[in-house]
Amino acid sequence: MKVPKYLIPVITIVMLFAGFYLRFAFTQPTTSVVFSEQGDAKLVCTVNGVKCKGTANFFTKMFNGVEGISSIETIASERRATFTYDPSKIDKEQIREIIEQPIQLRDGSSRQFFTCVEMK
Amino acid sequence: MKTRVLRYSILTVILGLTIYQALGYGKRSFEAFCPFGGMESLWGLFREGQYSCATGPLNMSMLIAVIVLALIAKKAFCGWACPIGFLSELIGRLGMKILPWNSSVNPKLNSRLKLIRYVGLVLALYFTYQTGELILRGYDPFYIIFSGFGHGTLGLVSVIVLVIIIIGSFLIPMFFCRYFCPLGATIDPFSRLGLVKIVSDEDLCTECGECYTSCPHDIAPNEMIYIRHRDCTNCLECIDSCPEKDCLTLKVKL
Repeated sequence: MKVPKYLIPVITIVMLFAGFYLRFAFTQPTTSVVFSEQGDAKLVCTVNGVKCKGTANFFTKMFNGVEGISSIETIASERRATFTYDPSKIDKEQIREIIEQPIQLRDGSSRQFFTCVEMK
Repeated sequence: MKTRVLRYSILTVILGLTIYQALGYGKRSFEAFCPFGGMESLWGLFREGQYSCATGPLNMSMLIAVIVLALIAKKAFCGWACPIGFLSELIGRLGMKILPWNSSVNPKLNSRLKLIRYVGLVLALYFTYQTGELILRGYDPFYIIFSGFGHGTLGLVSVIVLVIIIIGSFLIPMFFCRYFCPLGATIDPFSRLGLVKIVSDEDLCTECGECYTSCPHDIAPNEMIYIRHRDCTNCLECIDSCPEKDCLTLKVKL
Protein backbone atom coordinates (compact mmCIF):
# COMPACT_ATOMS: atom_id res chain seq x y z
CA MET A 1 0.00 0.00 0.00
CA LYS A 2 1.43 3.35 -1.08
CA VAL A 3 1.59 6.04 1.59
CA PRO A 4 2.25 9.79 1.31
CA LYS A 5 5.76 11.06 2.08
CA TYR A 6 4.51 13.30 4.83
CA LEU A 7 3.43 10.31 6.88
CA ILE A 8 7.02 9.94 8.14
CA PRO A 9 7.29 13.37 9.84
CA VAL A 10 3.74 13.08 11.14
CA ILE A 11 4.39 9.66 12.75
CA THR A 12 7.74 10.86 14.11
CA ILE A 13 6.20 13.92 15.78
CA VAL A 14 3.26 11.89 17.11
CA MET A 15 5.65 9.32 18.62
CA LEU A 16 7.81 12.05 20.19
CA PHE A 17 4.74 13.53 21.87
CA ALA A 18 3.58 10.05 22.88
CA GLY A 19 7.01 9.43 24.44
CA PHE A 20 6.83 12.74 26.28
CA TYR A 21 3.39 12.06 27.78
CA LEU A 22 4.06 8.37 28.46
CA ARG A 23 6.73 9.31 31.01
CA PHE A 24 4.18 9.25 33.83
CA ALA A 25 3.94 5.49 33.41
CA PHE A 26 7.63 5.08 34.31
CA THR A 27 8.00 7.54 37.16
CA GLN A 28 10.38 6.36 39.89
CA PRO A 29 11.80 8.79 42.45
CA THR A 30 15.59 9.20 42.55
CA THR A 31 15.42 9.57 46.33
CA SER A 32 12.51 9.16 48.69
CA VAL A 33 12.97 9.80 52.39
CA VAL A 34 10.35 10.00 55.13
CA PHE A 35 11.52 11.89 58.24
CA SER A 36 8.25 11.90 60.20
CA GLU A 37 4.54 11.41 59.72
CA GLN A 38 3.59 14.94 60.80
CA GLY A 39 2.34 17.53 58.31
CA ASP A 40 0.45 17.08 55.12
CA ALA A 41 1.12 20.28 53.16
CA LYS A 42 2.79 19.64 49.80
CA LEU A 43 5.33 21.74 47.99
CA VAL A 44 6.75 20.92 44.57
CA CYS A 45 9.98 22.74 43.66
CA THR A 46 11.96 22.84 40.45
CA VAL A 47 15.54 22.94 41.70
CA ASN A 48 18.53 23.80 39.54
CA GLY A 49 21.46 21.71 40.74
CA VAL A 50 19.59 18.46 41.32
CA LYS A 51 20.87 16.63 38.27
CA CYS A 52 21.78 13.07 39.24
CA LYS A 53 21.55 10.48 41.99
CA GLY A 54 24.54 12.02 43.82
CA THR A 55 23.21 15.58 43.89
CA ALA A 56 19.72 14.31 44.75
CA ASN A 57 21.15 12.42 47.76
CA PHE A 58 23.12 15.50 48.81
CA PHE A 59 20.04 17.70 48.44
CA THR A 60 17.92 15.32 50.53
CA LYS A 61 20.55 15.18 53.30
CA MET A 62 20.41 18.98 53.63
CA PHE A 63 16.96 18.54 55.20
CA ASN A 64 18.07 15.92 57.69
CA GLY A 65 16.85 17.05 61.11
CA VAL A 66 15.05 20.15 59.81
CA GLU A 67 11.93 20.55 61.93
CA GLY A 68 8.66 20.55 60.04
CA ILE A 69 9.86 18.57 57.00
CA SER A 70 8.04 15.24 56.90
CA SER A 71 9.32 13.79 53.65
CA ILE A 72 11.24 14.59 50.48
CA GLU A 73 11.01 12.90 47.13
CA THR A 74 13.26 13.91 44.25
CA ILE A 75 13.25 13.11 40.56
CA ALA A 76 16.68 14.17 39.30
CA SER A 77 15.97 14.10 35.56
CA GLU A 78 13.00 16.43 36.10
CA ARG A 79 14.93 18.60 38.62
CA ARG A 80 11.93 18.14 40.85
CA ALA A 81 11.73 17.91 44.62
CA THR A 82 8.44 17.28 46.40
CA PHE A 83 8.23 18.16 50.09
CA THR A 84 5.61 17.20 52.63
CA TYR A 85 5.79 19.61 55.53
CA ASP A 86 4.03 20.96 58.55
CA PRO A 87 3.04 24.61 57.81
CA SER A 88 2.84 25.42 61.52
CA LYS A 89 6.58 24.73 61.89
CA ILE A 90 8.11 25.76 58.56
CA ASP A 91 6.90 27.77 55.58
CA LYS A 92 7.73 27.83 51.87
CA GLU A 93 10.18 30.70 52.16
CA GLN A 94 12.15 28.94 54.90
CA ILE A 95 12.34 25.85 52.70
CA ARG A 96 13.63 28.01 49.85
CA GLU A 97 16.26 29.52 52.17
CA ILE A 98 17.51 26.05 53.12
CA ILE A 99 17.65 25.00 49.47
CA GLU A 100 19.61 28.09 48.46
CA GLN A 101 21.92 28.31 51.47
CA PRO A 102 25.64 28.31 50.62
CA ILE A 103 27.39 25.04 51.43
CA GLN A 104 30.71 25.05 53.28
CA LEU A 105 33.42 23.31 51.24
CA ARG A 106 36.48 21.46 52.57
CA ASP A 107 38.84 24.29 51.63
CA GLY A 108 36.88 26.69 53.82
CA SER A 109 35.10 28.52 51.03
CA SER A 110 31.37 28.25 50.48
CA ARG A 111 29.24 27.88 47.38
CA GLN A 112 25.55 27.85 46.55
CA PHE A 113 24.74 24.50 44.91
CA PHE A 114 20.97 24.68 44.50
CA THR A 115 18.54 27.31 43.26
CA CYS A 116 14.80 27.01 43.57
CA VAL A 117 13.46 28.27 40.24
CA GLU A 118 9.80 27.40 40.73
CA MET A 119 7.54 26.57 43.67
CA LYS A 120 4.05 25.15 43.45
CA MET B 1 8.04 21.68 -1.16
CA LYS B 2 11.20 19.63 -0.97
CA THR B 3 11.12 17.16 1.88
CA ARG B 4 14.52 18.36 3.07
CA VAL B 5 13.12 21.83 3.84
CA LEU B 6 10.46 20.27 6.07
CA ARG B 7 12.95 17.86 7.67
CA TYR B 8 15.51 20.56 8.39
CA SER B 9 12.77 22.81 9.81
CA ILE B 10 11.67 20.10 12.24
CA LEU B 11 15.29 19.32 13.14
CA THR B 12 16.06 23.02 13.69
CA VAL B 13 13.14 23.32 16.11
CA ILE B 14 14.33 20.20 18.00
CA LEU B 15 17.92 21.49 18.05
CA GLY B 16 16.65 24.85 19.34
CA LEU B 17 14.64 23.16 22.09
CA THR B 18 17.67 21.08 23.09
CA ILE B 19 19.83 24.22 23.34
CA TYR B 20 17.06 25.92 25.34
CA GLN B 21 17.00 22.98 27.80
CA ALA B 22 20.80 22.82 27.88
CA LEU B 23 20.98 26.49 28.88
CA GLY B 24 18.87 25.59 31.92
CA TYR B 25 15.64 27.33 30.90
CA GLY B 26 13.50 24.22 30.71
CA LYS B 27 11.95 22.27 33.56
CA ARG B 28 14.17 19.29 32.94
CA SER B 29 17.68 18.53 31.79
CA PHE B 30 18.37 18.11 28.05
CA GLU B 31 19.68 14.62 28.90
CA ALA B 32 16.22 13.59 30.03
CA PHE B 33 15.09 13.45 26.40
CA CYS B 34 17.78 11.06 25.15
CA PRO B 35 16.24 7.66 24.37
CA PHE B 36 19.55 5.91 25.04
CA GLY B 37 19.23 6.97 28.69
CA GLY B 38 16.39 4.44 28.83
CA MET B 39 18.78 1.68 27.76
CA GLU B 40 21.31 2.81 30.37
CA SER B 41 18.63 2.58 33.03
CA LEU B 42 17.24 -0.86 32.25
CA TRP B 43 19.48 -2.84 34.60
CA GLY B 44 19.16 -0.38 37.48
CA LEU B 45 15.39 -0.41 37.13
CA PHE B 46 15.31 -4.20 36.98
CA ARG B 47 17.70 -4.71 39.90
CA GLU B 48 16.95 -1.82 42.27
CA GLY B 49 13.88 -0.14 40.84
CA GLN B 50 16.01 2.98 40.33
CA TYR B 51 17.21 4.91 37.33
CA SER B 52 20.96 5.25 36.71
CA CYS B 53 22.51 8.57 37.68
CA ALA B 54 20.76 11.42 35.81
CA THR B 55 18.37 9.31 33.76
CA GLY B 56 14.66 9.22 34.46
CA PRO B 57 11.18 8.27 33.31
CA LEU B 58 11.33 10.46 30.20
CA ASN B 59 14.40 8.58 28.94
CA MET B 60 12.51 5.31 29.27
CA SER B 61 9.32 6.54 27.63
CA MET B 62 11.35 8.12 24.80
CA LEU B 63 13.18 4.82 24.24
CA ILE B 64 9.88 2.96 23.95
CA ALA B 65 8.50 5.62 21.61
CA VAL B 66 11.62 5.40 19.41
CA ILE B 67 11.43 1.59 19.27
CA VAL B 68 7.73 1.71 18.32
CA LEU B 69 8.60 4.38 15.75
CA ALA B 70 11.34 2.10 14.34
CA LEU B 71 8.82 -0.74 14.02
CA ILE B 72 6.57 1.58 12.03
CA ALA B 73 8.93 3.86 10.10
CA LYS B 74 12.45 2.44 10.53
CA LYS B 75 15.05 4.90 11.86
CA ALA B 76 12.85 7.94 11.29
CA PHE B 77 13.96 9.22 14.69
CA CYS B 78 17.56 9.47 13.44
CA GLY B 79 16.65 11.31 10.25
CA TRP B 80 13.84 13.50 11.54
CA ALA B 81 14.47 14.16 15.22
CA CYS B 82 18.02 13.50 16.42
CA PRO B 83 20.01 16.74 16.92
CA ILE B 84 23.35 14.92 16.66
CA GLY B 85 22.27 13.29 13.38
CA PHE B 86 21.29 16.77 12.16
CA LEU B 87 24.64 18.33 13.09
CA SER B 88 26.49 15.35 11.54
CA GLU B 89 24.53 15.74 8.35
CA LEU B 90 25.21 19.47 8.14
CA ILE B 91 28.95 18.95 8.68
CA GLY B 92 28.91 16.12 6.11
CA ARG B 93 27.18 18.34 3.53
CA LEU B 94 29.75 21.05 4.14
CA GLY B 95 32.49 18.46 3.65
CA MET B 96 30.97 17.26 0.38
CA LYS B 97 30.87 20.84 -0.92
CA ILE B 98 34.43 21.67 0.08
CA LEU B 99 36.30 18.42 -0.51
CA PRO B 100 37.10 17.58 -4.10
CA TRP B 101 36.96 13.79 -3.77
CA ASN B 102 34.02 11.44 -3.46
CA SER B 103 33.56 10.71 0.22
CA SER B 104 31.66 7.42 -0.03
CA VAL B 105 33.34 4.53 1.77
CA ASN B 106 34.07 1.13 0.25
CA PRO B 107 30.86 -0.88 0.96
CA LYS B 108 32.73 -3.86 2.48
CA LEU B 109 34.81 -1.67 4.77
CA ASN B 110 31.72 0.38 5.58
CA SER B 111 29.73 -2.62 6.82
CA ARG B 112 32.71 -3.93 8.82
CA LEU B 113 33.28 -0.58 10.49
CA LYS B 114 29.60 -0.51 11.45
CA LEU B 115 30.30 -3.40 13.83
CA ILE B 116 32.11 -0.89 16.07
CA ARG B 117 28.79 0.50 17.20
CA TYR B 118 27.68 -2.89 18.53
CA VAL B 119 30.94 -3.30 20.44
CA GLY B 120 30.46 0.26 21.76
CA LEU B 121 26.89 -0.54 22.78
CA VAL B 122 27.91 -3.68 24.71
CA LEU B 123 30.83 -1.92 26.44
CA ALA B 124 28.77 1.16 27.31
CA LEU B 125 25.97 -0.91 28.81
CA TYR B 126 28.36 -3.25 30.64
CA PHE B 127 30.24 -0.43 32.36
CA THR B 128 27.10 1.60 33.02
CA TYR B 129 25.37 -1.38 34.63
CA GLN B 130 28.51 -2.22 36.63
CA THR B 131 29.02 1.26 38.03
CA GLY B 132 25.54 2.81 37.96
CA GLU B 133 27.24 5.89 36.45
CA LEU B 134 26.74 7.22 32.93
CA ILE B 135 30.29 6.39 31.84
CA LEU B 136 29.48 7.19 28.22
CA ARG B 137 29.16 10.91 29.00
CA GLY B 138 32.80 11.69 28.30
CA TYR B 139 32.60 10.10 24.85
CA ASP B 140 29.07 11.11 23.90
CA PRO B 141 28.94 14.10 21.51
CA PHE B 142 25.34 14.84 22.55
CA TYR B 143 26.41 15.26 26.18
CA ILE B 144 29.77 16.90 25.45
CA ILE B 145 28.26 19.55 23.15
CA PHE B 146 25.07 20.41 25.02
CA SER B 147 26.58 20.30 28.50
CA GLY B 148 29.46 22.48 27.27
CA PHE B 149 32.05 19.97 28.53
CA GLY B 150 30.10 19.73 31.79
CA HIS B 151 30.28 17.37 34.75
CA GLY B 152 31.26 13.85 33.73
CA THR B 153 33.22 14.77 30.63
CA LEU B 154 36.88 13.82 30.48
CA GLY B 155 38.71 17.03 29.65
CA LEU B 156 41.25 16.46 26.90
CA VAL B 157 39.86 12.99 26.09
CA SER B 158 36.42 14.49 25.40
CA VAL B 159 38.00 17.26 23.29
CA ILE B 160 39.85 14.63 21.22
CA VAL B 161 36.66 12.55 20.84
CA LEU B 162 34.71 15.59 19.67
CA VAL B 163 37.45 16.67 17.23
CA ILE B 164 37.63 13.14 15.77
CA ILE B 165 33.83 13.08 15.34
CA ILE B 166 33.78 16.51 13.69
CA ILE B 167 36.66 15.70 11.30
CA GLY B 168 35.15 12.26 10.65
CA SER B 169 31.74 13.78 9.86
CA PHE B 170 33.43 16.22 7.53
CA LEU B 171 35.07 13.37 5.59
CA ILE B 172 32.35 10.70 5.82
CA PRO B 173 28.69 11.74 6.02
CA MET B 174 26.98 10.58 9.26
CA PHE B 175 30.33 9.36 10.62
CA PHE B 176 29.17 9.10 14.26
CA CYS B 177 25.76 7.65 13.39
CA ARG B 178 27.26 4.99 11.12
CA TYR B 179 30.06 3.71 13.29
CA PHE B 180 29.55 4.77 16.90
CA CYS B 181 25.96 5.65 17.83
CA PRO B 182 24.82 3.19 20.53
CA LEU B 183 21.18 4.22 20.11
CA GLY B 184 21.45 3.37 16.40
CA ALA B 185 22.80 -0.06 17.35
CA THR B 186 19.93 -0.53 19.82
CA ILE B 187 17.20 0.16 17.27
CA ASP B 188 18.86 -1.69 14.36
CA PRO B 189 16.85 -4.93 14.77
CA PHE B 190 13.58 -3.00 15.06
CA SER B 191 14.48 -0.86 12.07
CA ARG B 192 14.88 -3.96 9.89
CA LEU B 193 11.25 -4.83 10.64
CA GLY B 194 10.00 -1.28 9.97
CA LEU B 195 6.66 -1.39 8.16
CA VAL B 196 6.85 1.83 6.15
CA LYS B 197 9.73 1.55 3.73
CA ILE B 198 10.93 2.88 0.40
CA VAL B 199 10.15 0.65 -2.53
CA SER B 200 11.93 0.77 -5.87
CA ASP B 201 10.20 0.00 -9.19
CA GLU B 202 12.66 -1.97 -11.34
CA ASP B 203 10.80 -1.17 -14.56
CA LEU B 204 11.01 2.57 -14.04
CA CYS B 205 14.60 2.69 -12.73
CA THR B 206 17.16 3.98 -15.22
CA GLU B 207 20.14 3.18 -12.94
CA CYS B 208 21.18 6.83 -12.93
CA GLY B 209 22.49 6.43 -9.37
CA GLU B 210 21.04 9.72 -8.11
CA CYS B 211 19.37 7.93 -5.18
CA TYR B 212 22.68 6.38 -4.09
CA THR B 213 24.51 9.69 -4.35
CA SER B 214 21.89 11.49 -2.29
CA CYS B 215 21.68 8.88 0.49
CA PRO B 216 23.60 10.09 3.56
CA HIS B 217 24.14 6.47 4.62
CA ASP B 218 25.42 5.23 1.23
CA ILE B 219 22.48 2.88 0.73
CA ALA B 220 21.79 2.05 -2.92
CA PRO B 221 17.98 1.99 -3.38
CA ASN B 222 18.45 1.20 -7.08
CA GLU B 223 19.98 -2.18 -6.13
CA MET B 224 17.07 -3.30 -3.96
CA ILE B 225 13.33 -3.57 -4.36
CA TYR B 226 12.38 -3.01 -0.73
CA ILE B 227 14.74 -0.86 1.31
CA ARG B 228 14.94 -3.01 4.43
CA HIS B 229 18.43 -1.73 5.23
CA ARG B 230 18.87 -1.18 8.97
CA ASP B 231 20.39 2.26 8.41
CA CYS B 232 17.58 3.72 6.31
CA THR B 233 16.25 6.73 8.23
CA ASN B 234 13.38 7.36 5.82
CA CYS B 235 14.83 10.83 5.25
CA LEU B 236 13.32 10.57 1.75
CA GLU B 237 16.34 12.23 0.07
CA CYS B 238 16.40 9.37 -2.48
CA ILE B 239 12.76 9.86 -3.44
CA ASP B 240 13.31 13.59 -3.90
CA SER B 241 16.44 13.08 -5.98
CA CYS B 242 14.96 10.42 -8.30
CA PRO B 243 14.26 11.93 -11.73
CA GLU B 244 11.72 9.20 -12.62
CA LYS B 245 8.23 9.82 -11.30
CA ASP B 246 6.99 7.06 -8.95
CA CYS B 247 10.15 4.99 -9.37
CA LEU B 248 10.85 5.28 -5.64
CA THR B 249 7.78 5.35 -3.43
CA LEU B 250 6.93 4.94 0.21
CA LYS B 251 4.90 1.84 0.96
CA VAL B 252 3.62 -0.20 3.87
CA LYS B 253 5.22 -3.59 3.38
CA LEU B 254 5.93 -6.42 5.82
